[in-house]
Amino acid sequence: MTATLTDRYVWAAARSAPEAQRRELERELRERIGDETDALLEQGASPEEAERAVLTELGDPVALAAGYVDRPLQLIGPRYYLVWWRLLKLLLAIVVPIAAVGVALGKAISGAPIGDVIGSAVVVSLSVVVHLGFWTTLVFAVLERSPAPEGQRGIDSLWTLDQLPAIHEPARTSRLADLIAAVFFLVVFAAAIVWQQFGIPWVPQLEAVPLLDPALWSFWLPYFIGIIGLEILFAVAVYAIGWTWWLAGVNVLLNVMFTVPALWLLVEGRLFNPAALEAMGWPWGDARPIVVAVAVVTVVGVAIADVVDGIVKTWRAGRARRTAA
Amino acid sequence: MSTDDLAAGHLQELRRGTVVLACLIRLRTADYGYALLESLNALGITVDANTLYPLLRRLEKQGLLTSEWNTDEARPRKFYRTSPAGERLAETLTGDWKLIDAALSRLTGDDS
Repeated sequence: MTATLTDRYVWAAARSAPEAQRRELERELRERIGDETDALLEQGASPEEAERAVLTELGDPVALAAGYVDRPLQLIGPRYYLVWWRLLKLLLAIVVPIAAVGVALGKAISGAPIGDVIGSAVVVSLSVVVHLGFWTTLVFAVLERSPAPEGQRGIDSLWTLDQLPAIHEPARTSRLADLIAAVFFLVVFAAAIVWQQFGIPWVPQLEAVPLLDPALWSFWLPYFIGIIGLEILFAVAVYAIGWTWWLAGVNVLLNVMFTVPALWLLVEGRLFNPAALEAMGWPWGDARPIVVAVAVVTVVGVAIADVVDGIVKTWRAGRARRTAA
Repeated sequence: MSTDDLAAGHLQELRRGTVVLACLIRLRTADYGYALLESLNALGITVDANTLYPLLRRLEKQGLLTSEWNTDEARPRKFYRTSPAGERLAETLTGDWKLIDAALSRLTGDDS
C-alpha cells in the first residue's frame, strides 16, 4: 500500500519533534486532519480535494510541529539577543585588533616582506571575525534551546542600572579636551624634532650628537614639522565644526602623508644619524630586525588607530545629529 | 501595513487571553479539539485552528487541562477536560475580566 498524502505529512511533522513526543503528535495530527477533512466532505468536496485542501491549510509540517511542541523557530530569540549582540561587539573590538597586531608583529620580526605582513594580518583578522561570530552564536543558540531552571531567569536578567552607557558626543567639553591633548602632543613632538638637533642631554653618548640625520634638514624634517602644523590646524577645525566625513578623509590623508615617508626613511636607513648610531653602539647584536619591526608595527598601528578613531567619532556625531533631528 | 491589518493585529492581541479563559470554562465538560473549535466559533469566540490546537497542548503541559484518548469510534480523539488548577485559574481570569470591563466602562463614562 502506498503512503497517502496524510501519512507523508504526519511523518514529516513527527520526524522534527523530539522522539518522546512523536507518537502523541502523530495521533493528534491524524485526529485534526481527519476531522477537518470530514468537515470539507460534508460541504461536498471530493475526498482527494478535501485532503489536499486541509494539508495545504496546515502549511509547512516542520513549522506546524514546532508550534505544537513549543520549539523556537529563531536562532536566538529576544530573551538572549541583546546579551549576544553586546558580547559579540565586545569580543570583536578586543580580540580582532590584538590578533591583527600580534600577527603583524610576528611576521615583521621574522623578516617577512611588507605585503606578507599586511596580508597575514588581514587574513587572520577575517578568520578571527568569522570564528568569534560563529562560536558565540552557537553558544547562544544552544542556550536558547536549553530551558532555564524552574523559577529562574537566564543570564538575560543580569542588567543593572550601572550598565547605562555614558552619553557620547557631541558635548563640546570632550572636544575641548581632545583639542588640548592633540595640540599639546603635537607641539611637544615638533619641539622634540628641533631639540634633538642639539643632542639629548640625558643620554650620555648623545650629549652633543643629533639623533636624526642632519642631512634631512634639507627637506624632510621641515616637511614633518609642516605636517605637524597642519595637524594642529586640523585639530582646531575638528574642535570648531565637529567631525564630518570630509574631515575624517583629511585625517586619513594627513596620517598617510606623515607615516609613509617616515617609514620609508626608517627602512632605507636614512632616518637616524650614523654618528648617533655609532655612539650608541648600534646595531646591538641581532636586535636590529626586531627593533625595526616593532617600530614599524607601532607607527602603523598608531596611524591606523587614529584613522579608525576619526571614523568612529564621525559616525557617532552623524548618528547624534540624526537622533536630534 | 494597511489599517485593516493593523486592526486585525490588535484584535488578535486583545482576544488572545480570552481564548484561554473560554477554553477553561467550555472544557468543564470534556471535548475534543475540532468540536471545541466549532462550538467556540458558534458562540462568537473566533479562534483559528492553528492557535487552538497548540494552545490545548500548552494548557495541558501547564496542568490546567487533563486529557484522555477516546478510542470508542473509528477515529481516536483526544478529549480535554479542565483540571482543578484550571478551574481556579478560570475563576481568577473571570474576576480580572470583570475588573477590566468595569474599568473600561468608567473610562468611557458609561456607568449604566
